[in-house]
Parts: sequence; structure tokens; C-alpha cells
Amino acid sequence: MAAAMWGTLRRVRRPPPVLHRGLAKPAGPRSVRQLREAEEAAAVFQYTGKAAKRKDRVFVWGFCYSGALGIPSFVKPDVGWKKPRRIQPTPYRLETEEKISSAACGYGFTLLSSHTSDIIKVWGMGLNKDSQLGFQSSRGNRAKGYEYVLEPSPIPLPLEKPQQTRVLQVSCGRAHSLILTDSEGVFTMGNNSYGQCGRKVVEDETYSESHLIHQLKEFDSRVVQVVCGQDHSLFRTKKGAVYACGWGADGQTGLGHYDITSVPTKLHGDIAGVNIIQVSSYGDCCLAVSDEGDVFGWGNSEYLQLASVTETTQVNVPRHLPFKIGKIKEAACGGTGNIVLTEEGNVFVWGYGILGKGPNLLETAVPEMIPPSLFGWSDFNPDVRVAHVRCGLSHFAALTNKGELFVWGKNLRGCLGIGRMEDQYFPWRVTVPGEVVDVACGVDHMVSMVKSFA
Amino acid sequence: LNAAPGRAPRQHVRFLPAPGGGAAGLVAVRVPVLADHPLVRGPRFRRLKIGAGHPLDTKASGVFVLGIGHGTKLLTDLYNCHLTKVYTVGGLFGKAADDFSDTGKLIEKTTFDHISREKLERIVAVIQGTNHKALLMHSNIDMKTQEAYELAVKGLIRPMEKSPPLITAIRCLQFALPEFQLEIHCLHETQQYLRKIVHEIGLELKSSAVCTQVRRIRDGVFTLDDALLRTQWDLQSVQNAIWDCQLKVKTELEKTLG
Repeated sequence: MAAAMWGTLRRVRRPPPVLHRGLAKPAGPRSVRQLREAEEAAAVFQYTGKAAKRKDRVFVWGFCYSGALGIPSFVKPDVGWKKPRRIQPTPYRLETEEKISSAACGYGFTLLSSHTSDIIKVWGMGLNKDSQLGFQSSRGNRAKGYEYVLEPSPIPLPLEKPQQTRVLQVSCGRAHSLILTDSEGVFTMGNNSYGQCGRKVVEDETYSESHLIHQLKEFDSRVVQVVCGQDHSLFRTKKGAVYACGWGADGQTGLGHYDITSVPTKLHGDIAGVNIIQVSSYGDCCLAVSDEGDVFGWGNSEYLQLASVTETTQVNVPRHLPFKIGKIKEAACGGTGNIVLTEEGNVFVWGYGILGKGPNLLETAVPEMIPPSLFGWSDFNPDVRVAHVRCGLSHFAALTNKGELFVWGKNLRGCLGIGRMEDQYFPWRVTVPGEVVDVACGVDHMVSMVKSFA
Repeated sequence: LNAAPGRAPRQHVRFLPAPGGGAAGLVAVRVPVLADHPLVRGPRFRRLKIGAGHPLDTKASGVFVLGIGHGTKLLTDLYNCHLTKVYTVGGLFGKAADDFSDTGKLIEKTTFDHISREKLERIVAVIQGTNHKALLMHSNIDMKTQEAYELAVKGLIRPMEKSPPLITAIRCLQFALPEFQLEIHCLHETQQYLRKIVHEIGLELKSSAVCTQVRRIRDGVFTLDDALLRTQWDLQSVQNAIWDCQLKVKTELEKTLG
């Protein structure tokens, strides 16, 4: 009986097994294998492809009120409580639709041009009181033009083949501008009271809101470089000749007289027969470099720019400047100082003003070299050298082969772009987020063309 | 150090009864003072004053300067000289970690096949340029003086007080994707700052990078040749090292602090 009882007990079905949810293992410090597996399983992000091109950008800085920087919110802020910005002390990016190949800064205005074959090739911004940016029709009234252009506005050029001609270079002076094309000569706009636009001076002509764009084609060969001085224009042709027109009271036209010239005329003097490869001017002094490395100068010499050959303060015929500093590759003229770059990569300055060798050197008639260690050369980086030199009215700029931009001179309304308002007595780097390819200097603003890093 | 023969025990004259019995009188005998006995005095050196120079954290390696005994006073003088230190920093592209090194938690993985040596050198040149500018600004010299111009030409401008970390020179030593190695000369830095620089170089190249190695190869006047290895941590080598470096340290201090 007891055995039967045990049998029944054994036959009692066990209660059905309780369902357990699988509990997660406690999260402790992960072992090396777990970490490695997690790493390998992580997704890989791609930010840029192998064939990604470096982008071309434009940076501007300097005085804003004239609109020359091309950013409307600096002059007319979009929000009511913001005040207009007077000076942009550090480089600021300017968005452009096309890649800008050439830029030029005038006295309160800027021209940008692109190598494109689209219809719009040149944009202008800034002062337009003398139609130096062409006719910019105002939105309210088509017949009236804008006196100040606040953002890069297209300049329509009267081209015969607008979809084939390309704009090579632009240049700006005090109140006029020159645009060089590859097959249709040179277009000039702006003030012509001294004949600087290459056409006959019309008495009492009103230059503002003018539609007139003059075309210049009569040169001995194709024009390859145009340069604007303050109130005169220089043209360099493929054969190595130099033509000039405009104001000549300081002899800056180099034609042997001190009158104005309204038709581009060829220069003689010491450059007759010499193959000139570069011309430069911004104020009233002009420099030209020949293919053999010689430099010629004419124009204003009140600041000892040409004092090495003559005591007079105006030179109206090109004279060879006998400097023994090596073969010269590039020259740039400012308002009171000049700068040249030799084949070895050395930079020489002379003239008057803040020349870049400390506060003690304020004027010299003989070129003085700026030590290369100030441009980043050292025993650690022995292959840094200056590649280009540029000049504004009272400041200088130098570009190295590593893509760094150095500026020095009078910091007029923040034009140096170094973040400070004081003058800079020796070359100082400008921090630009990219490799600087070219720079254009004006009176109180600068424009630079930059390639991004990656 | 304690095993080295110490000072000889002092001797004094004591009047002891004459040995050998009988003879009267006292004999003057030189006997060592019991107070100077080594068993009474104990070991001569129980503690040693050691000071450390510029810090080096646990993940980094390299030259680490220590001052022993009276040398600790020279350590502050060396610090005030503000000499540059040189590091070799190794990096790895493709990963980003929270503490910028390869032992940290992984944040993101990226592609890196678009990076070339040229791009790296471009970024490195820009870092050097901006740091050079900061160097001139923190050295507290008025830029408008002729003196500032002359020092800038010679390249001698350097901040002589506290300043944020500054890199005086940086260049790429090796480049083999995904690894690369940089040589960095810097002032007032920490090793974590160098790892952050590696991370930022990765970001600038539109990828990411972590630091695999930080090794100090020079600290002011002390280079790897003067450094002692782990196997050389014994009295003789330490004494030789101190002796060799004494002249170098003295000339450097005189030159900088005047």
C-alpha cells in the first residue's frame, strides 16, 4: 500500500516548467576581443573622395563702407539692431558663382573676372560714381544707375563673340578700369578727364551713370598685360612694347612730355627695342622689367623712387635703373615705395614709407634686401622662397611658394588683414584658411584668391 | 650608495689603563669614538631629494629630466630658460578616439585613401605658420621697435613667461598610409596637446587620426644620448651622467639667464 502510494506520487505530473526570459549578461569592462570586434563592425564614414578637387575661394578684407568688399551685410545689415561694419580686419570669405581668375582693387572699388566662356565674365563692386564699374541699373528705376554697388554685380561687355572671348586680366585705377580680353582688345570704362580711358577727352562730360565702354584695338601686337596707375593706363604688348595714355604731369606716361595723352602711344627712351615682360604701377611711378632682368622706371620720383639715376622729381622718359642686385623677375610699384623680386627669391625695397625693415628705415634710394628669415625661411625649412610681390598704395604683399601671404606697411583702415589696426614694420603672416594663389592690393582693402587645403 | 665607504670614524684620545697587568699609570690611546660606529649611526643616506623636470605622462616615453639633491634648484632655473622640447609623434589615419590616442574609445572611422604626403605637408606648414605668429605675439615685445625687427630676423623671439602651448617647428618625417610620423619642436606643451594636434590634422584633411606614439627626444640640452635606460639605473651610471651634463647645463643657464 505504501508502495502504491509512492507510485501515485511519482506519477503526479510535475508542474509545467516556468518560462524564463534569457537574462542579459552583466555589462562589465569589455575584453580586448570584444573591443576589436566592435571596432571592426563600426561603419566607415567617407567625407571626401579620392579624386576630390581643391576648391577655389576668394577672401576679402579692409574698409567696408564703400562696398568694395562685396558683402552687402557689412554696409546694410540684414537685421535692424546690427550696426554697419566699418572695417573687416581679418580675411572674410566672399561667395562667388564662378572661379575667379583675376582680381584688381582700385580706389574704393573692386573688379573680379573669370576665365569662363559664359556671357557674364566680369563682376564689380564698390564705388561707381564715375561708372568705373559700367552702368549698374538700379532696380527701382532702370534709367538710373547705382552710385555704390554692394555685391559683385555683372558688368555687361559689348563683345562681338561673347561666348568665345575670354577675359584674361582686369586692372583698376583711381576712377577708371581696364579689362583685357584675348581676342577683342582692351575695354576701358570710368573717368576720362585725363584721357586715361584711351579716348578723346570731352569737356564737361558727366561720368556717372554713363553707358560708354570704350574698346581699344590698335596696338602693334596683342596686348598681354594692362596696368592702371592713379590716373593713367599702361598696356604691354606681346612684342615687348609698352603703350601709355592718361595724365602725364608727373611724367608717368613716359612719352617725353608732361601733358595728357588720350590715345595709347608707344614708349621709347631706354626701353625702345627692349623686350619688356612685366609692367607695374599704382600711383604715379611706373616700373618695367625686361626679359634680361633689368628694371626701368619713369614717373614721379618725389620719394626717391628713381633717385638712383636722377635728382629731378619727375622723369618723363623711361630710364634704366642700374641696380646690382641680380636678375630681376618681378617688380611692383606703390604710391611711395617700390619692391622687386629677384631670380634667387630675394626681395628688395626702396622709396619712402614703411619699407619692411623695421621702424628705422623710412626712406632709401638704393634697394635694400629684406632678410628671407622673415618670410619663413630657416634651417628647418630651407626651401621657402618668395614667389610673387604686390604693392598697394602704402603697403606691400609677398606670396611664398608654400602659399603663405606676408604683408607689411601702413595699416590704412585695416587693409593689412592681420587683425590689428597698427602699422606693421616688417613682414607678417596673414592667416588665411587655404593656400594663397594670388592677391590684389588696393588703397584700403585687399582681395586674395585661395585654394582650399584638401 | 650606502655601500660606498663612508666617512672614517672620528678618533679621540682616551686614557685607558695600560694593557697587560701590573704597570701603573694610564696610557694615552687613540680609540674610535663609539658614537661614530656604523652600527650605532645607521646607514648614512636614508632619503634622497629628487625633483622632476617637465612632466611626461604615462602613455608617452622619452627623455625625462630629474634633479638629485642640490640639483633640484637648477631645475627651476632650467624651467625659466624656456627651451624647446622635441618630440616624435606617430599617428594613424582612419580612426577618431575620445582621448585622441589609439587606446581610447572609438568614436568614428573614416576613409583616408585621398590623403597624400603633399597635403599633409601643406597642413603642417600652415600649423607652423600660425604658431610662429602666436610665438611673436606672446613674446610680449612691442612690434613697432627696431629691436623687435632685429630679433624677428634672427629668429630669437620666444616667450620668456607662461604662455599657451606653442609649436616652433613641425615637419613630417615618415608617411606610409595609414601611418605617419611628425617631428614637433614645442614650448609649454603637454603630451595630450600633441595628441590633440594629431586629431586636428586628421580633421583638417577631411578624415580622422589618432596618436599612436609620443616620444620626447630632446628636453632643452638633454638628448637621447644622455638618457639612461632602465638597465642603467645604478649609481655608477647616474654619477657619470650627472658629471657629463654638468658643463652643458651650466653654459646654457649662463647664456640664457645671464
